[in-house]
Amino acid sequence: MADGNAVVMTAEEFKQFVKANGIKKAAKDVDIVTTGTFGAMCSSGAYFNFGHADPPIKMQRIWLDGIPAYGGLAAVDAYLGATELDESNNMLHGGAHVIEDLVRGKAVRLRATAYGTDCYPRKEIDTYVSLKTVNQAVLMNVRNCYQNYAVATNSSSKTLYTYMGKLLPELGNATYSSAGELSPLLNDPYYRTIGIGTRIFLGGAQGFVIWEGTQFNPGVPRTETGVPKRPAGSLAVIGDLKQMSSEFVRGLTFTKYGTSLGLGIGIPIPILDEELAKSCAVTNDKIVTAIFDYSQPTRARTVVREVSYSELRSGEIAIKGRQVPTSSLSSLYKARQISESLKSQILKDRFSIENPVQNFSMDRVFKPLDVRTEKEAM
Amino acid sequence: MKTKVVLNFSPEAANTPITNNLIAKYRLLVNILRAEIDEIGGKMVLELSGKADDIRKGLDYLKASGVGVRPIKEGVRRDDEICTHCGVCVSICPTKALSLDTKTGKITFTEEKCVACGVCIDACPPRAMEILI
Repeated sequence: MADGNAVVMTAEEFKQFVKANGIKKAAKDVDIVTTGTFGAMCSSGAYFNFGHADPPIKMQRIWLDGIPAYGGLAAVDAYLGATELDESNNMLHGGAHVIEDLVRGKAVRLRATAYGTDCYPRKEIDTYVSLKTVNQAVLMNVRNCYQNYAVATNSSSKTLYTYMGKLLPELGNATYSSAGELSPLLNDPYYRTIGIGTRIFLGGAQGFVIWEGTQFNPGVPRTETGVPKRPAGSLAVIGDLKQMSSEFVRGLTFTKYGTSLGLGIGIPIPILDEELAKSCAVTNDKIVTAIFDYSQPTRARTVVREVSYSELRSGEIAIKGRQVPTSSLSSLYKARQISESLKSQILKDRFSIENPVQNFSMDRVFKPLDVRTEKEAM
Repeated sequence: MKTKVVLNFSPEAANTPITNNLIAKYRLLVNILRAEIDEIGGKMVLELSGKADDIRKGLDYLKASGVGVRPIKEGVRRDDEICTHCGVCVSICPTKALSLDTKTGKITFTEEKCVACGVCIDACPPRAMEILI
């Protein structure tokens, strides 16, 4: 690959190539397939080191543009979560929006209070910071890039406002949230090339996979080709916020739910063998997920039915004898942009492919939270 | 010929049977797409069908009656800098003014189909849609 002769294709191009030339030739001729996704990625946030004031302060309560950040780390380090809201619960401007503002180069107001110590006597500060003034600004997300996700609909008689968007009454619409055949983890369903240490496209910059994502759940039912039929794997990722672009880092508002971070992620998949070529050949008609009725306010919602991504993409799906219009929460346009950008960076030798330092554990399970006694929790 | 217009009127004008006059005097078919009237006046989105000349006369009549008349294109605006083309709006738009073009992957906004109902406004996660009426 270092000789500049690598054959790189986006996931969409690769699927066309396989259709025309077969798996064997694709496995032999193609070196790397680039994937991409852009969607609402909760469990995101950024940490900062602000530098020390004079006299110095050990920040205890911290606000960035009015949004509380967590400072229980040391003196001037803080973590700002994407879904954090101000005290008035204004959902138009949460942690994710502050992160976007910083990426756009804006200055944001930093306020902090403290109890004061002998070594950090200052008790309050009110100032402005930007990506230029802080020492570190690092996007570090504990669960992104879900491998497949549910489809949401609503059979009740009132509109529901959810993290899956506005769900109209009486099965008025259905929303889904995966980039389907372009989505990174759906192209490498057993995480053979995506693991700890994998270099990725993150918010327009280069970042890394640092761990399995929280709620990692590889044991869900899978199709014959191994593609999970339910939310399964996820990734914890890290990258330098200072290098990112507002094209791929966006504050989002889900009315009456809260805020989330719209984030672009792309992952290159080296075609190691025929098995991986087969995985990357998967198309929307072969990727299925489950429709859930979000009017059931329980974690154990029943599956309405299974549906493929080609049905979802067609704009309408049948639910209980009705034709229900569908919406994606994930941008096909940006997913394509990301897979294209990754391809061109690799071809220009600006993006090196890393083998995982360690693969994910396949025995992780997704446990519920029950109200239990101290003894039951032991 | 068909046209869609946004009307703004004062409380006084709200007491005039303007839609009835459009139907009776100007022989127009009037489809009320949206109507909101309160103590400070009202807004209405109408689809008018009829002969081009009658539509023109009808619109002149509205203006002469002190009703603000604007084309529907000025009803809802999308900020293309903010839109991420996710497509959340597609399934909630009752007139299919917003649709996914699978070729480009972009969400197309066909302003002619928009009736300025406003359901897309608070459904848009990056808040790219703005209602102007």
